[in-house]
Amino acid sequence: MEDQDRKKIIIMLRWTAIIVTSYLILFGKGRMTNLHLSYLLIFVYLLSNVSLSFFPKKWFSSLKLFYPLVLLDTGIVSFGMYLSEKMVTDFYIVFFLIIIFASVSRNFKLLMVIGGITALLYGVLLYSWGLFLKDDSSSYTLRVPFIFIMTAFYGYIVQTLTREKRQELTISEDKYRGLFENANEGIILLRNHQLQIADVNREVEKVTGYIKGELIQKEVFDLFPPEEMEKARDFFKEVAETGEGKTDSLSLTKKDGFSTEVDLSTKRIDLGDESFYQMIFRDLTEQRKLEKKIRQSKRNLEAIFDGIRDQLSIQAPDYQILRVNRAVVENYRTTFEKILNQKCYKAYFQRSQPCERCPVSVTIATKQPATSIMKSSEDNTTLQIFSYPILDEKGDVLSAIEYMKDITEEQKLQEQLIQSEKLAGIGILASGVAHEINNPLSGIIGMAEIALEEEDPTKNESYLKDILDCAQRISEIVKGLRSYSRAAKKEEQGLVDLNEVLEETLKMVRLVAQKTPVEVIKKFQPVEKIYGNIGEIQQVFTNLITNAFQAMDGKGGKLVLSTRSVGDSVEVKVSDDGMGIPRKYLNQIFDPFFTTKKPGEGTGLGLNIVYRIVTQHEGTIDVESKEQMGTTFTIKFPIRRAET
Amino acid sequence: MSRKILIVDDEEVIRKFLRIHLTKLGYEVKEAADGEQAIEQLGGDDFDLLICDILMPKKNGWEVIKEVKTNPKTKNIPVIVLTAKNEDTDMFKGYDMGADYYMTKPFTKAQLLYGLKLMFEEAQGAVRL
Repeated sequence: MEDQDRKKIIIMLRWTAIIVTSYLILFGKGRMTNLHLSYLLIFVYLLSNVSLSFFPKKWFSSLKLFYPLVLLDTGIVSFGMYLSEKMVTDFYIVFFLIIIFASVSRNFKLLMVIGGITALLYGVLLYSWGLFLKDDSSSYTLRVPFIFIMTAFYGYIVQTLTREKRQELTISEDKYRGLFENANEGIILLRNHQLQIADVNREVEKVTGYIKGELIQKEVFDLFPPEEMEKARDFFKEVAETGEGKTDSLSLTKKDGFSTEVDLSTKRIDLGDESFYQMIFRDLTEQRKLEKKIRQSKRNLEAIFDGIRDQLSIQAPDYQILRVNRAVVENYRTTFEKILNQKCYKAYFQRSQPCERCPVSVTIATKQPATSIMKSSEDNTTLQIFSYPILDEKGDVLSAIEYMKDITEEQKLQEQLIQSEKLAGIGILASGVAHEINNPLSGIIGMAEIALEEEDPTKNESYLKDILDCAQRISEIVKGLRSYSRAAKKEEQGLVDLNEVLEETLKMVRLVAQKTPVEVIKKFQPVEKIYGNIGEIQQVFTNLITNAFQAMDGKGGKLVLSTRSVGDSVEVKVSDDGMGIPRKYLNQIFDPFFTTKKPGEGTGLGLNIVYRIVTQHEGTIDVESKEQMGTTFTIKFPIRRAET
Repeated sequence: MSRKILIVDDEEVIRKFLRIHLTKLGYEVKEAADGEQAIEQLGGDDFDLLICDILMPKKNGWEVIKEVKTNPKTKNIPVIVLTAKNEDTDMFKGYDMGADYYMTKPFTKAQLLYGLKLMFEEAQGAVRL
């Protein structure tokens, strides 16, 4: 009902009650008793209704206003009656009768009928007593409509309150119904008696395929497949006996005859005076599918892990081996049980402490992948070890994957490749040297022939001097060649002075490059010796300097060789101002067999060999190049002491 | 009138003994130490023979030969290549470019004389025809 209407009706009904009550008080039989109090009461009653008309409308739907109003009105009307009749009247009984009627009545119309009949009966009664038509009987006569008005007033108030209460209940019922219906879990309410289904929610319909009507009144055991009946009966028996909730995984039969697995919780609940079982279940189909997927992907990962023929292990930050693949077990001729939980350094390297250049320790410290090359003490194999971090949700290193690759064969092949490239280099060098020697040799032969023919011996001195000059030049070339090839032969690791190697290499390459008029600028700083293979490093410089000369294409140019210390490494730069490398080739130049030269002019292995040697020395190589401007190769070798 | 020969080589000692030999044989000898000098000389004088090295600074022998053989004024001058490049491919390249005789270092006086004989007799023959 609208607040507006309610306010109007209440105020209007009260006005009527006030008028009638005031009349009764003022003109009732015992009115002479206390006139002041009577006037005060009427005034209060009037004032209450006047002030009520100023109240906001919405207050009229509040119980906080209703209760005081009913109390006030009952009080005032009762007191008014007391003042007018001094308690010696039957009117009290009638008044309280009205209040009782109103409060128990559920139907407003019926109440009005009862009020009407009561008013009529009272009128008939008054009439039979002869009080109805006397001269001073107006106060009695008024009682008849008064009964009706007060009934209407109280009836209205009670009625409104009840309706509101019911509305609130409906709202709350709707709310819980909504929760019940929209729950993601299936909810079934069972009557305790025979475990009959009393109510189900939508999820139950969805999971089972039945509609609500088909389920209601069914026995709950009809929902379980025969093979699980025993389990289901035990389940409910236990709930009934212990009186406590229970959760288990059971299957439910669907309408289509198939079963679906659910996670079922059942609990006894009491609603009002009736006792129910509340069954809540979650459909496990999706979860089972997911679990199956997870299991399969786990199997896949395990197969990959075991299928990899290189050795893989997962290690805790304290180097404890958490997991290994089959290759590890086979390679170390051990079992999974024996190797798991051992420390990596102990199991793999027979050490009592972590290895010095362990990549796992780097990964744990930096959270970055790391790699290093180690020699196995046991069978003299060379292992390349990679480590990769496994992070937890916070991004901390949980463990590391260690991947060990036996590169012994690969290294042997690489050494052979370097060796053959070196031989090829020596071949080129030899032909270059031959050219270079041929010139002074021509001089010697030519001058000697002239000297033989010369009749004037005084002239011979000059010829002999020329011959000597030429012979000395040849001797110089041979000397340089010897020191170059001496270095090239060396296979041992040792301390290498990069400045010295650069100097010697330059000499030889110049020889081969013959007449190319190249201005060489040397910017050598005193640098620490690095640890490595001098022959291989010489190969690096030979290839780079030869390339630089070739880039200048016999036209001449500037070659800058520089060395300097940068942190813990020595940096060597070889730069030319030759033709440069086209941008599109820049990322291919270190690939094996990549060449822009004509067939027969280059193997395409030169820079690849350079790259291999530099990385094997744990160095780095970078290239910068601009077409027609030149190329700069920058190599960094780490300074490190000889290993034990 | 004696024949005029231009020797092009950056090695002084080689120019020297060639000069001594050829002068004794009665030729008029001019010298150039690199390709550019050679071209310059060829522009200024008429030569009967060019003896040219290949590996030289500034302008190499191949370039000199190319210029000589493409210039109508000089294309009839016979050319002897005198070089330390002794691979077959270099020799073929030399002949392909128009060289008339290919001589590798080191060489003897006899080889030089044979080359001269070949050049001038062929040239005379050509005139006779």
